[in-house]
Amino acid sequence: MTETSPTGNFHPDDAPAYESILQCMRCGFCLAVCPTYALTNRERSSPRGRAALARAVAEGKLEFTPAVRDEAFLCLDCKACSTACPSGVRVGTIMEFCRSQAQIFHPPSLPAGMLRDFILKRMLPSPALMETSMLPARLYQRLGLQWAVRRLGINRFLPGVLDKMEGILPTLGPPLRTEIPQFIPAQGKKRGRVAFFLGCAMSLVFPDVSRWTARILSQQGFDVVTPKEVKCCGAPHLAEGDRETARRLALINIDLFLALNADYIVTDCAGCGCALKEYEEILEDRADHERLRLFRSKIRDISEFLAEVGIRTEELRPVPLSVTYHEPCHLVHGQGLSGPPRQVIRAIPGVELREMKESNWCCGMAGSFAIKELETSRRILERKLANVRATGADALVTANPGCHLQLAWGVRELGMKQPVLHVVELLGRSLPA
Amino acid sequence: MLSRTIIDHLQQRVGAGNVYHEREDLLVYGYDATPEIAGLPEVAVFPENREGLQAALEVSRQEGLAVTPRGAATGLSGGSIPFQGGMVLGLTRMNRILEIDEENLTATAEAGVITVDLFNAAAARGLFYPPDPGSQNVSTLGGNVAENAGGLRGLKYGVTRNYVMALSGLLYDGTEFIAGNKCVKDVAGYSLRDLLVGSEGTLGIITEVTVRLINPPQDKRTLLAYFRDIRTAGEAVSRIIAARIIPATLEIMDKTTINCVEDYAGIGLPREMGALLLIEVDGHPAVVADEAEGVRKILEKVRADVIRQAANAEEAAQLTAARRTALSAVARVSPTTILEDATIPRSRLAETFAEIERLKEKYAIHVATFGHAGDGNLHPTAVTDERNHQEIEKVHAFFSDLYEKVLSMGGTVSGEHGIGIAKKGYLLRQFGEGGMGVMRRIKDAFDPGGRLNPGKIFLEGASSPDVRIQGGVHD
Ligand SMILES: Cc1cc2nc3c(=O)[nH]c(=O)nc-3n(C[C@H](O)[C@H](O)[C@H](O)COP(=O)(O)OP(=O)(O)OC[C@H]3O[C@@H](n4cnc5c(N)ncnc54)[C@H](O)[C@@H]3O)c2cc1C
Ligand code: SF4
Ligand code: SF4
Repeated sequence: MTETSPTGNFHPDDAPAYESILQCMRCGFCLAVCPTYALTNRERSSPRGRAALARAVAEGKLEFTPAVRDEAFLCLDCKACSTACPSGVRVGTIMEFCRSQAQIFHPPSLPAGMLRDFILKRMLPSPALMETSMLPARLYQRLGLQWAVRRLGINRFLPGVLDKMEGILPTLGPPLRTEIPQFIPAQGKKRGRVAFFLGCAMSLVFPDVSRWTARILSQQGFDVVTPKEVKCCGAPHLAEGDRETARRLALINIDLFLALNADYIVTDCAGCGCALKEYEEILEDRADHERLRLFRSKIRDISEFLAEVGIRTEELRPVPLSVTYHEPCHLVHGQGLSGPPRQVIRAIPGVELREMKESNWCCGMAGSFAIKELETSRRILERKLANVRATGADALVTANPGCHLQLAWGVRELGMKQPVLHVVELLGRSLPA
Repeated sequence: MLSRTIIDHLQQRVGAGNVYHEREDLLVYGYDATPEIAGLPEVAVFPENREGLQAALEVSRQEGLAVTPRGAATGLSGGSIPFQGGMVLGLTRMNRILEIDEENLTATAEAGVITVDLFNAAAARGLFYPPDPGSQNVSTLGGNVAENAGGLRGLKYGVTRNYVMALSGLLYDGTEFIAGNKCVKDVAGYSLRDLLVGSEGTLGIITEVTVRLINPPQDKRTLLAYFRDIRTAGEAVSRIIAARIIPATLEIMDKTTINCVEDYAGIGLPREMGALLLIEVDGHPAVVADEAEGVRKILEKVRADVIRQAANAEEAAQLTAARRTALSAVARVSPTTILEDATIPRSRLAETFAEIERLKEKYAIHVATFGHAGDGNLHPTAVTDERNHQEIEKVHAFFSDLYEKVLSMGGTVSGEHGIGIAKKGYLLRQFGEGGMGVMRRIKDAFDPGGRLNPGKIFLEGASSPDVRIQGGVHD
């Protein structure tokens, strides 16, 4: 019979499942879609290569070496390979596990480790603490910068890093979480009750976007409940390999949101949506199965939600604008949502959607990647912006705070004319005054 | 293990970023898409031009290294697996499309160009490069030539060989060769070009390929037929061919394949059916209408359970794209998929399906079958687990029996994937010592020392790749 699954040279805690690695039959279909492979043409930076490295570690043929760690972090976790893989391999997820392993085998140097722990285990889980430490923004930028530079223990202190750190974050105002009403009643004929999952980045960096989300939900006939006690969704923790804290946050959010008795739980952050939809998987065997299922069944991205319930368009005013749409990885590959955001855009009177080439190709932001791998990130971004420019559209629309920051920065750097808008901002423009 | 000096020397001459010697790199240049086998090179080199390639070969000769050419490593017989360690020679950084010659209707490209990129470049000028292996989005032109790859359009348009007009490159000893030209007719001397096509990287390293382009079809129509019994599907194929209708595409998928592809693509394939035929006729609109009608009549006559036409080009493209994923999709259901490439004269299809069913039962294993039915080229694929040694033995016995039957019907052990490492034993059965001896002499003429892609095609020496090789460098 078959042998039991080994963890080999992986540490048994949060090791990737051997079966999930073995599932790769090495057909190479994923090579065509992987942004890091496109840049390096180096097999180990491809999904197939990454799966093979994980397999070698699991089979005891390779230690969990610094090179394996580096590949785990160079991976954008954009999940394009999951969409492309007919065998159902999820290399991005395998790499998330490898990032957990990296914390065990190659812990960051002491000060950098403390900073990482502070950010992941203390600051992100506690919105209030994050909000105070986010102000003034410069402090955060310095913290984040040092974190990014030191964490890998490599000298990446290039002059450009500083510029980008300072350039990418807009001036921050007060966080929306503290200001948004906990309850906003439905307008017109009431269609249901929605709990709004307000993500950290949206609340802090894009409060105006999330204001639109809440307004739109209410205008569309839904009561909107936005709990102030919401915790970080856990996406940064999964990405950085801290699965333990991610699980802790998930349990709190599940309790909080299920208690609200909402018909749906809606978010306007693709990254949050992706993480929320993964709660069921990361908590498997650690929480009540039925509750996990129930929670999962309520999660919707805002576009997914609007497309599903149908947009009431009677009151919408025309917005004469041509736009092109960049698909966030966490929406198209992470949640398989390609049609709904386009449906929303097309539903807005006057808007012309011009498709760009490679609309589902990563923009190079990928969490903290844009800072840690500055040069690689810039090259991925340039490829994206060239495709944007070729459409000649008036505006660039997307649906995720990470992409939004990266694209807005790129557009400014290259002196392009297109403003970057979240789908809901575009829809917001057509709302009755 | 190579010395630091040699690595330095290689890096100087081929470019530092084009030479890999770390264990993490070597591990991932030891495999292709073939299950169960992998090797381990001592160094992997990716020249960007002819000079770099010459330098890499020079070092190999000095050090006596085996050299294994590598395209995208999507091969299914182990062709780009470094059998004796040595150097993996990657061609993917020689990837420029050099010319689309609209006067002579040819395209010239470096060997590392990706198949679909060449197709698109030709299409942009209103021309058509037909060979389209399932792996076309990743496979390289060099790999296609070396394996003489077929594809979904093989039935009507032929395989890679039918389009290759000229090849150039290097032998292991550094000799430059140019085989063929842009002339439509050419009988000067032995056709070295035809020897090199399908030579699996054992005769020479191809750096440049000139292919013939044709006019794209003006019109096409896609039909789908579902069958409860796969043998009926086999009969339909034989009858279509016998009626002298040559569709561009005539592909088959059995029940297991249908279900796996549907799991991935979700396009509404009939999960309960025993088999499906995907048929595409193309050409002049009048001919297309005629042939589609002819096909439909045959399908009705053999009593296909459902016959339908793709609603539009989009649906048709979706169907062919889904078919291309068949092999990888089948891999969903088990850790290991072992696929074969048996090909028989097309009149024997129904019989072959019956034999596959019989042997499946005899050995009690799971087999998914799909393939280029119109070419008589089937890919019975065992879905198994390489850790289950007992079952793996049964799988190999299954294929051994099947090939016995295939050969007795006048078939061949490989229609398009080549012999590589995986099918050396079967090739000997097909050709006997006599035939293999002639091939051996050809091989010796090109590569007397036997250092170019050793361990392939010929059943001699070790039977599996040498993986005791140490990666890394020593001083
Ligand atoms: C999912 C899937 C579907 C497939 N579908 C088909 C199909 O429909 N039809 C088909 O025929 N095949 C198919 N294949 C097999 C494979 O894709 C083809 O054999 C392809 O031609 C290999 O190209 P490659 O670039 O990956 O070559 P590799 O696998 O890297 O190499 C193949 C062989 O060519 C040699 N080689 C590569 N480049 C050169 C060069 N420049 N000079 C000399 N020798 C060289 C190598 O040494 C090796 O022996 C499929 C494979 C997969 C995984
Ligand atoms: S990850 Fe999937 S697409 Fe990539 S090589 Fe493995 S099986 Fe093929
Ligand atoms: S998740 Fe993205 S970057 Fe990572 S291996 Fe897959 S395609 Fe490449």
